[in-house]
Amino acid sequence: MIDRMVGAVIFMIAVSAVWVARGYEASFGDPLGPAAFPQMVAALAAILSLGLLLRPDPDPVAQSGPALARQLCTLAVLSGYVLLLEPLGFPLSTTLGTGCLALLFGARPWKAGVTGLAVGISLFVIFDAVLGLPLPFAPAIFG
Amino acid sequence: MDILTSLMGGFAVAVTPLNLALAVFGCFAGTLIGALPGLGPVNGVAILIPVAFAMDLEPGSALIMLSCIYYGCMYGGRISSIMLNIPGDEPAIMTTLDGYPMAQRGQAAKALGISAVASFTGATFATLGLTFFAPLLAKAAIHFGPADYFALYVMAFATIGGVTGVNPFKTLLAAVLGLLLASVGLDPATGTARFTFGSFHLYDGFDPIVAIVGLFAVSEIIMYFESHATSGAGPVKLGRALPRLREMFEGYGAALRGSVIGFICGVLPGAGASLGAFVSYSTEKQLSDKDGTFGTGDPRGIAAPEAGNNAASGGALIPMLTLGVPGSGTTAVMLALLVSLNIQPGPLLFERQPDLVWGLIAALYLANVVLLVLNIPMVGIFTRLLSLPQWLLMPIVVMVSFIGIYSISHSTFDLFVMIGFGILGYGLRKLDFSLVPVVLGLLLGADMENNLRRALSISGGEFGILLQSPIALVIYGFTALMLVFSFGIAMRQRPGAG
Repeated sequence: MIDRMVGAVIFMIAVSAVWVARGYEASFGDPLGPAAFPQMVAALAAILSLGLLLRPDPDPVAQSGPALARQLCTLAVLSGYVLLLEPLGFPLSTTLGTGCLALLFGARPWKAGVTGLAVGISLFVIFDAVLGLPLPFAPAIFG
Repeated sequence: MDILTSLMGGFAVAVTPLNLALAVFGCFAGTLIGALPGLGPVNGVAILIPVAFAMDLEPGSALIMLSCIYYGCMYGGRISSIMLNIPGDEPAIMTTLDGYPMAQRGQAAKALGISAVASFTGATFATLGLTFFAPLLAKAAIHFGPADYFALYVMAFATIGGVTGVNPFKTLLAAVLGLLLASVGLDPATGTARFTFGSFHLYDGFDPIVAIVGLFAVSEIIMYFESHATSGAGPVKLGRALPRLREMFEGYGAALRGSVIGFICGVLPGAGASLGAFVSYSTEKQLSDKDGTFGTGDPRGIAAPEAGNNAASGGALIPMLTLGVPGSGTTAVMLALLVSLNIQPGPLLFERQPDLVWGLIAALYLANVVLLVLNIPMVGIFTRLLSLPQWLLMPIVVMVSFIGIYSISHSTFDLFVMIGFGILGYGLRKLDFSLVPVVLGLLLGADMENNLRRALSISGGEFGILLQSPIALVIYGFTALMLVFSFGIAMRQRPGAG
């Protein structure tokens, strides 16, 4: 069932891509122009998605609740990490991010904390000091 | 003679202290990443590409390090297959069939020894093949015109994974989606903004490396909670650390046969190491499984697929270097690296940058020797690392890939794009789409479009030019054959489905 839904979504995306691309024109350059290739590819995608609609595979195994919750939490942690990376600086945000991930992967709280701190500091030292890759230190505190 | 002189020149490049150190580091890191459950060569190379950027290496040195990581991952993949019954990566799946039963019988060291020798055999065979075959192919490929290249790209997409038996509709659709993603951004020929929806961040399109790390590494993290949550069993006991020399050469015939089969599978576009391992194993089973011992811990059942997948991964370098068309996911990632270092692989690479190509080939010979040392006397280090808790290893892998991507552009937008690709990759994997065609599409889309447009400029917009060259016709013929074959298999496997 889910295959049919995905097929339908891809079909709609492909058709709208063909439609959006019809406006891409250049008055100079090659005979084919910027629109033709994306349109060919999108048309092919539309045709293939029909195959998915007509001959779907059996549904994948349904997700267990706790696993799904952890997956969503992981995505939240990763997104939060990216949002905080520049404001909080690399060492602090990485400590928090690594600690939270370690918790999600089943570490005890104090172990997660120690892991986070160790990873946050050592990666900062390795990449910033040793490899010379400038990483934000702590802009929120030191401006 | 020509080749031997070039190879000597290559060794002169490869044995400089820096390159040698990078090779050893690459072998070690590769084996480690390969050994971690779920993290294969694609992840290993993708995560460490940004590290290579950060180290500000010469293109040649970066390529040496990453190729050694690639070879190392292929060696390492077998360790968790044998010790944990969890393949480190897809090509190592076949190794679990006989490797784990053997380890359960207390012969883990022997199984690791046999597979190390088989890996060495396969990888060395493939490197020899690369040495002698790649220059020939490069010479032939100089005559390829834009229409021929277009045909070559069509073949790469049409045949990728086509013989592995997953739903061929999905494989083709994945490739086409990759091509569609590749057209996002400014059209290089005319400057038209395509599918950017007015966002300046998208004008450069999606950086293939960002997409690859997202698709493979981030989706692996999300996938982890489902696939590994239940396997609580620790690794089996290693027993005695070093197997006897004689034991390691059991099934050596199988390793040699596996090498040849794997190499051929690797050179074929889109087939890659998984197929190499699969075909080697099943051929060996038909040839020599007289007593039905395969699947219960037969040494030949370890030697054949390990030689096969290592030979295939070496063979896959040939189309990547000589034609610029990668034959596997990992070589696709390495192509992304070369392109971002402003090196265009293809037939001219051998003429214009012999140091780079031959330095790489020489480094691969050295890597094989280093890997043999790492994987027989020192294999205990890696098996011990396997018993480190996942809550320690996984977050480190995540953080290294985030730093790496951040280091490319210093933009948090790229990190969000990466997470987005991670979600996409998870969804695709869940639905049994292969990710490699998506990456290939994203990576090769621009070149494919370029060659098409160049061919049509030559002909003045006449599509007939695509079918005028005999080389292109041969390629299309082969493609059609492979497509019929793979759809035929798929139809037979699922009679009346849908």
